[in-house]
Parts: sequence; C-alpha cells; structure tokens
Amino acid sequence: MASPTNGTPTGPEKTDELLAPLPTKRMVLNMGPSHPATHGVTKFLVELDGETVTDLRIDIGFLHRGFEKSCESSTWTQVFPYTDRLNYVSSIMNNVGYALAVEKLCKLDVPERAKYLRVVTSELHRICDHLTLVGAQGLELGAMTIVIFAVEARDLVWDRLTELCGARLTSNYARIGGVARDLPEGWIEKALKTLDRVAEVRDEIDALLSRNRIFADRLRGVGAISRADAIDYGFTGPCLRATGEPYDVRKAQPYLVYDRIDFDVPVGSNGDTFDRFLMRVEELRQSDRIVRQCFQQMAPGEIIVEDFRYALPPKPLVYGTIEGVMAHFKQIMEGIKVPAGEAYSYTEAANGELGFYLVSDGGGRPYKIGLRAPVWPMLTALPQMTKGALLADLVPVYDSINYIAGEVEQ
Amino acid sequence: MSDEKKPQAPAAAPPKPAGPPPPPPPRNPGFVTATVDGREVVVKPGTTVIEAAKSVGIEIPYYCYHKRLSIAANCRMCLVEMSNAPMGKLMPACQMPVAEGVTVKTDTPRVRDQQRAVLEFLLLNHPVDCSICDQAGECKLQDYYMKYDRQPSRLDVPKVAKGKRVQLGPTVTLDQERCILCTRCVRFMREVAKAPQLGVAERGNESFITTFPGQPLDSPYAGNVVDICPVGALTSTDFRFRGRVWFMSSARSVCTGCARGCNTFLDYLNDVTYRYRPRENDAVNQEWMCDFGRVSYKHLNKDRVLVAREGRGAAAAFEGRASAIAAAARALEPHAKAGALGVLLSAAASLEDLLAAATVAKEALAAREVFVAGRADGWQDDFLKRADQNPNRKGVELVAQALGLALRPVADLAAAVGAGKVKAVWAVGAETPDEVVAAKLEAAEVLVVQAVNENHLARHATVLLPGAPHSEADGTFVNFEGRAQRFELAYFPRGDARPHWALAAELGAALGLPYRFASARDVFAALGGRLGAALGDFAWDALPSAGKRFGLVPLAAGTVDGRLAGNRDRVPAETGEDYRRAIARTS
Amino acid sequence: MSKHVIDALAERFPEAVYDPYVGVGGDDCAFVRRERIVEVCRALKQDLGFDMAPYVTAVDYLGQTPRFEVVYNLYSTKANARVRLRVKVGEGEELPSVTSVWRGANWFERYCFDMYGIPVSGHPDLRRLLTYDEFVGHPLRKDYPLRGRQPLVPEREVHDIFRGPGPATRD
Repeated sequence: MASPTNGTPTGPEKTDELLAPLPTKRMVLNMGPSHPATHGVTKFLVELDGETVTDLRIDIGFLHRGFEKSCESSTWTQVFPYTDRLNYVSSIMNNVGYALAVEKLCKLDVPERAKYLRVVTSELHRICDHLTLVGAQGLELGAMTIVIFAVEARDLVWDRLTELCGARLTSNYARIGGVARDLPEGWIEKALKTLDRVAEVRDEIDALLSRNRIFADRLRGVGAISRADAIDYGFTGPCLRATGEPYDVRKAQPYLVYDRIDFDVPVGSNGDTFDRFLMRVEELRQSDRIVRQCFQQMAPGEIIVEDFRYALPPKPLVYGTIEGVMAHFKQIMEGIKVPAGEAYSYTEAANGELGFYLVSDGGGRPYKIGLRAPVWPMLTALPQMTKGALLADLVPVYDSINYIAGEVEQ
Repeated sequence: MSDEKKPQAPAAAPPKPAGPPPPPPPRNPGFVTATVDGREVVVKPGTTVIEAAKSVGIEIPYYCYHKRLSIAANCRMCLVEMSNAPMGKLMPACQMPVAEGVTVKTDTPRVRDQQRAVLEFLLLNHPVDCSICDQAGECKLQDYYMKYDRQPSRLDVPKVAKGKRVQLGPTVTLDQERCILCTRCVRFMREVAKAPQLGVAERGNESFITTFPGQPLDSPYAGNVVDICPVGALTSTDFRFRGRVWFMSSARSVCTGCARGCNTFLDYLNDVTYRYRPRENDAVNQEWMCDFGRVSYKHLNKDRVLVAREGRGAAAAFEGRASAIAAAARALEPHAKAGALGVLLSAAASLEDLLAAATVAKEALAAREVFVAGRADGWQDDFLKRADQNPNRKGVELVAQALGLALRPVADLAAAVGAGKVKAVWAVGAETPDEVVAAKLEAAEVLVVQAVNENHLARHATVLLPGAPHSEADGTFVNFEGRAQRFELAYFPRGDARPHWALAAELGAALGLPYRFASARDVFAALGGRLGAALGDFAWDALPSAGKRFGLVPLAAGTVDGRLAGNRDRVPAETGEDYRRAIARTS
Repeated sequence: MSKHVIDALAERFPEAVYDPYVGVGGDDCAFVRRERIVEVCRALKQDLGFDMAPYVTAVDYLGQTPRFEVVYNLYSTKANARVRLRVKVGEGEELPSVTSVWRGANWFERYCFDMYGIPVSGHPDLRRLLTYDEFVGHPLRKDYPLRGRQPLVPEREVHDIFRGPGPATRD
C-alpha cells in the first residue's frame, strides 16, 4: 500500500490505527429551517453520534399563519380559501372535509351529483398527493427521473382540475351544500385519458422502484414503527396502514358515496418506509378505480342544495331579483347561519384523518375551528422512528410521512 | 273576586244556548293570562299580543308597528293564530290586546304561509337595490326575508317605478320605490314631532310617501324618520353613501349637542365617527333625538388638534406632549404663585376631566375660583332641545361646588385679563361663547389651552395640548336635570391627543401632585367621592352590559346594540391604555 | 355501540363523568371533571379499547366559567367507535396530561398550552409549539386581538454546541 505521492511507508502500526474505531464526538446538527430536504420550513436539531442519529428534536411553526384565528373572524364560507392552503397539494380534500363538517352541524344533505363530484375531485387530488410523495421518495434517494415522471402525471391531473376549478393548487371547489361548478363538457373523456396516462406513469414508477434493489435496501427496515406504537401516537392514513392496521375512514365510517364504490384498502406489515411507499403506489391504483366507478355511477342533477340559507342563489336571480340579491347579501355580508353546537367531522385525506372540530354559536362566523392535520402525529413520532438510523436515512423517513407544513403549522 | 262571579255563571247559562261563552275569570287578578306558543304570559290588561309575546322571548315579525306610535296594522306581517279570532282568521298581533285565556300560536304553517305571502307582496315592487342601499345590513326586509321567506321571485312583469331620490327636506332623502308604506314616518311626524309634514299620496300600488306641495320636511326632529323606517326608503342625507353599516361598530354614547344629553349609539369605523343614532332611554330622550344633535358628531372628525404646540403665531413649534406639558407647568407656576392665574373649565368637558382639572387647579395652582366657558346658547323647544348647547354645564357647577371653588362666568375672566389682573390662563377645553371673549383671553401672557378642535383660542395658545373628545374617552356628562350619564370609549385617541383628565393629571404631576390615573374610571374612583351625594345613585360601572366590551367581538351576540356585527374587533378593556393602544394598532 | 361506552364510563365513574349526550350526527359525548381525566382516559384505553387519541383541542368560551374547554376526540381501532370527552378548565387551572395514556396527545397538549395558555401538569415537554418562546399572550384566546402585534424580541444567544455557530472570534 505504498503511496505514490510522498513515498511514506505505511508500517503495521498505521494499519491498526486505520482499523481502530473512530473516536466520535456527540454532535448537534441544525437541519433547517431552510434545508432543501425539509420540504417547507421545519427545523431539526439532530444529535449525532458519528452518522447515527441519537436524538431528534423538531421545531415547527415557521409556517404558522393563524389559520384558526383567521377562520374565527371570517364567515363560514370565507373559510374555504383558507382550507385550500392547508395541504396545498390536495386542496379539494380539505375543502370537502371542511364542507362536510359544516354540513354535519347544519344537518344538511347534499345532492347526489355533488357527492360524486366531491369524491371524484378528492380522489384525483389524492392521486396528485401520492404522486408527489412517490416521486419525492425517489428524489430523496437521488433518483431524479422519478420525480420528473411523477410531476408530469401530477400536472396532467392538475390540468383537468384547473379546467374544473380554475386553479391548479388553490381549488376552492367545495361549497357548503354542494360544489362550486359542474363538470365542463367533455371533461370525463379527457379525465379518463389523463387517468390512462397517469396509470402508465404509475406503473413505470412502480416497475422502476418497487423491485429496485438499491431503492428497497435504502428503505426497508428504515424508520419502522410497530402497529401498537403507531396507534398510540395517533397515526392514520397510509402510515398507519403500513404497520398492518387497516383503518381507513372511507371504509370504517363511509361518507359521501364511498360505501357504493368497490375499492380495496392496501395494508402493509412492517411499518417501515418501504411499506409506506408501497401503500401509496397501491392507493394510486385504488383511487383510479374509484374515479372510474364514479364516472359510471354519476347521473346529471343538481350540484348544490337549493336552499337560500346555505347556498348562494344563481347569479341571474342575484342580479335580477330582489329576493336573490337579499339572500346573496345576507350570506356574503353576515355569513350563513350555522346552528349553534359543536361537532367533530373527519375524512380520509391523502395522509390520513383530516378532522375539523367546529363550534358554532349560531352566528355567521365560526366560534372555533379546530384542525386535525393528518401528518401531525407522524411528525410527533419522527424522533422515535429515526432513532438509531443514519443521518442519510432521516431524509427519506421524513419524506415518507409526507409532512405538509401548511396544514400542521396552520 | 272570582268566587263572587262563579256561582252566577251556571245560573245565567241555561237560557242562552247560543252566543259566545262568557269570559273566563282571570287567573291572575288584575292581570291577563294567556298562552303564546305554549308558554304562559301574564300581562297587564290592554297589552298587545306582540308585546306579550316579546315579554316571554317570542319574536313576532312586524314592520308598521312601533311601540311609541299609534297602531296602524297595515303591514300584515304580524298576523298570528288566536283562539278568539272571529271565524278562525289570522289576527294582527300588534293590534289585538291579549284576552284572558286566549291561546296564541305564532309558528303554525298557516302563519308561516301568511308571512311568506306578505313578504312576497312587499318585495314585489321592491327595487334590486341592496348593493347601493344604505339600509342594507340593518334592513328588516332582508332580515325577515332570510328568516321567514327564502323563496325566489315569481314576478315576471316590470316593477312599478317611482321617485328614486326625493329630497324631502334638508336632512332626509326618500326613495319611494323602496318604501313599503308602513306609514311609521307619517305617524311619527304627526304624533311625536307634532309637525304633520308627511302623508301618503295616490292609491294602491301607485301610492307613495310625500310632503305637501311647497312644504319641505323641515321639522328639527325629521331625522328620526330615518331611524324608524324599517327599510331603505328614508335615508339620512348626511350619512347617505358614506359608509357600510355592517362594517361599523357602535359605542354607547351621549349626544353633546345640548344640555339634554340624549343617549346615542356612536357608529364608528376605523377611528372615524360616522353618525349618531338615538339610544333608548325613557327618562331622557325616549328614542328620539334632534337633527342638530345628529350632526354634532362632525367636530369629532375634522379640525382636530392632534399634536402639542408651543409658542404663538409664527413662533409656534410642534412639540412632544411631555415637553409641552413641562413647558406649561413652568409657565403657569410663577403666575399661580403671584395669584395672576385664571383656570377656565369648559362645560363641554366630561365630569372626569373637570374633576382632575379642578383638583390640579386647587391643589397645585392654589386656585380659589374657576371660570366656566362653553358654546353659545342656541334655540330651545319644549321637546328635547335645550338652549344651553353644552353637555356638562351642570357638571362644572357640581365640581366647583364639591371642591369649594367659586364659579364665575368666562366674561369675568376676559375682563380680568383685559385689566391685567390675570396674566396666565389655563383653559381645559377651548369652547368659548364667541370670538370676542376668545380675543380678550388671548391677551394673556401665558395661555395654556387643552383643545379638541382648532379654534380661535387654540390658535393663540402659548402652549396647546391636544385633547380627546368623548368618542375617544370614557366619561360622564351631567345633564341639565342633574342626571349623570356615562359614555364609553369608541376608539383610541387620535394622534397625540389624550382626554383632558389625562392632560390635567400630567400637568399636575409636573407640578408635583401625587395623582396618577390609568383610566377615567380611576379618576372617578379617586376624586368622584368629593361630589358626595350630588349624583344620586349614579354608579360609574352601571352602563348596561359593559362586560360585552371585552375581546374580539366577531359574533352576533357580542355587539352593544344587538345588531349583527360586521368587521369589528375590540381589545381587552382590562389592560392599561398604552398596552391597548400598542396592540390595537396595525402599524 | 359506543353509546355503551359512555354509559359504562358514566357507571364506572359516576362523579367524574357527567352529562353524557348524543351530539350532532350521533357523536357520543360526555363531560369529564378536570381532576379525573387521566383516570377516565386510562380506563377508556385499557378496559374499553380506545387506543387512539386522534385529536385533542381546546376552545375558549370567554365569559363563561370555567372559561376553557379541552376536547378529547378518541377512537377505538378494535371496535371502530368514537367518543368525545369535554373537560372544563378554568383560567389558570392546571389540566392533567394524558400523554402517559396516549403518546400522541403530547403535541396536542402543547398546542393547547401555546394557543390557549392552558397549563398542563405532568407533561414531559411543555413548551410552545407553533409560536416562539418569547411570544406574548396566547393567540387563540378570544381576547387576543385579531390585529395584534408582537413586540420585537432580541436575538437568542446561541449556546455553544460542538462546532456550532458562536462568536466571530472562534476559529
């Protein structure tokens, strides 16, 4: 082992030195708040022993913007745009979750078509959300191609949703008592084509990653959490199902039209990052199934309730009749009157249970809106999941819980 | 009583099988007992169903009914089912007195149907005006439509067109299309204002409210028809198109136009007062106020003194309040020692202002007499308006008496300044009856003025301190009858202004007095005791439901006047003023 | 199903659980006394199978006494049932922590402390969660002004951590 540069001979004692364990010193690493791997702004204080994570402390709140306080000072309807900004990758699911919560308080039933439209758009946004994560999972491990594939597919879906809502991200699509717009003409055919393309991309990603040795080795057994622990921490969604617990709100307490639709809930076994990845890939397939079934079952009809207490009158009535303008005025200026009471409503968002705890005092503005962000418990458990892992594993584990600062930090 | 009647009834009954049954004996002697929606009501004989229902918290909608006006029963909105109605017809609840044992139902399908039908008729020819209507947000058509109707329009013919902007008089503009012809305004002018200047012309759907040819609606109480108009037909020419009511907040205040002290709601938005509305107080103003008082809010907004100033005329320099107060103290002290100081109290300042100022005058400046100034007298009538156009002249008298200070008119001070006997004047409030007096006062060597508005006296002050008017302070006015009435802070003082009591206390502190006040409440707590029994059973905290002022109030139930809230926020009243100011400001 | 749970709970803790009711949409709810909440929660978890606390939050009912209410939304994965427990907490009163029952309650309790100023006793790490330590007041209290401004705070001193940022003079 002669060194060609300076010709210093390496004696046997030097070899021993090389083989000796490295004396490591405890090191605290500040990761974030502005780190490329922490999507959004989150600060980790990582305590390292060499490259092993011995402890992790999470500092959040950099994206706190007073969601609940803002909602308390706006009318029930004005809350919708705020919910867009919770999980901004799948905003319609937030819209729908909030609308369902208010409708629970109002004891309001929405028209059939609106229910289907809500499911269709929600599941399309679930596809977007999962594509983002699946793509990013590759990205975290250096597979840049994957994220580009995924973004292509995601933008196709967003294109369809843009035709429907007018915006890629901030959809503001649901309304109390229904949805904002009906499908444009020929939209279903376009959407089906999009779904075909998304399925191709999905299968390609699946083929590239799921049986990829490097990929699997990096994720298997990393960031694992047991089923009991996951439940104790309050995990929901794909992260919970990856541990083997089959809880899915769509199956456990079906809402909208999920009870009329045939779909499966994938369940994992190891609760590690690889299982969480697989859950999402499989859910992409299931969402595809759900959307296609909805297209078959949907019938033309009303998309919002015809009740001036909750839904705005059609615009011709507003501009042309005093009755319409009065109803419009009262709803916009004072807000719809939600009966006094409190309710907790929850839906299955892309990352788990999205809950809204609402308190109404009977007025036009919410008294309290409590937001249960799906990723919140997963983030709490991150220190446990990463303890003993390598620093390089922190990034994929953190990615696999799909932390969305917009909703956790409100 | 009932025992005497009972034996007679069966004896008289058999010969008359037909005819209505005799009225049952009263269950509560001296009162009438009836049932409204299953709830028992016990009211005095002669009470209308609408009031009886209100007494147990049941709301019956109405437009034309007004408890201080005669009953017209022409809007038909209050029709209810009554067990004693002839042929089972629906009866107007505003007109029907409660009879013994009657059952009233206000929420049956028939009643609902009737309400919906009435609203449909009322809205039939109503213009599509909400977006440009000043009543929007406090309109009973809107309220009742959302509560009782909620049906789309079935009209497919053009609406009847009428006068859109009829200038009835100097203060009131009428939109005849919006009018629902409830005739409240006609009855008000006839019965309360005693000036029957309004009437209904034409017939059927062509009829409209109007004045008589050549006679404008010029009664000084005409502004009240705007308040009692349940829709947007009668609008205030002054307030028209100036602000949206659902954005405004209300503070309970007192009109400062004259010594009557009519209770008002002061409506404000972003630190600007937009209007006064009369607040109900049976002992003072019932629920009316005069047009002179209505526009007296204007001095709260314009020509305000907002910064302290030192020096006269060209030499004037803007100063921080603290340095101006120190300068005032330095300037006043030698003259006070020499006995050449006159203290001028304004009859437009609040009781707390006067207490603080008079205490400082007596204890720090050794004053034995104070002078009272105020706005000049105006017209008077036998209804509300008083000739004395100052809200608190009685308060000055009480304070001077309580502190053992002689009270003399401002003319004496002007004469003393002219004679050179008084060289320094400290004016708490710059209101003077006329420019002549003010011009005489300005001859003083030292003229310390605490002024709310720029005026003659303020312009010639050697030290000018910015005072806060009653919209920007808590306090009390004592009206001409000796009735102490509280008003509450609507928004925090503008600019560098502070209430007179705060300025006086700071001046006192600069002169070595120990008084430190955090609020008007503190002033009254510390000094109000000196007034003794002069205020009767007045309690400073007695302004009803003062607790509602706490916190952010974006809620329907949280407003002082019971109306829906708009974009209103308030800050905690319990914290110190500086903290509140700091936290309430956006920048 | 979960109606049984509330009834069983009320039977077992007659003085701790009161006013059980069926809320809007058929939710099973009950009030629990503040001092006994840990005990009730432990019983719920161990004996009645409520192994998850998906959401804990608080509400400020300004003007009422007690002022605050902490709401526990609980879920049983085994029975697929939910209950909601509501605990009245007065101003300044300490809320016993249920972190020992469900670890997931940890951050939710920090949130209640941060946003409403409800002190939680027995909490392993009671710090502000979404706001910073120097924050004045508790933003979701109803008397916290909507347009409130926070004072500027001096920069925190960075403690000496291994090769961390420090004074400029260090190597």
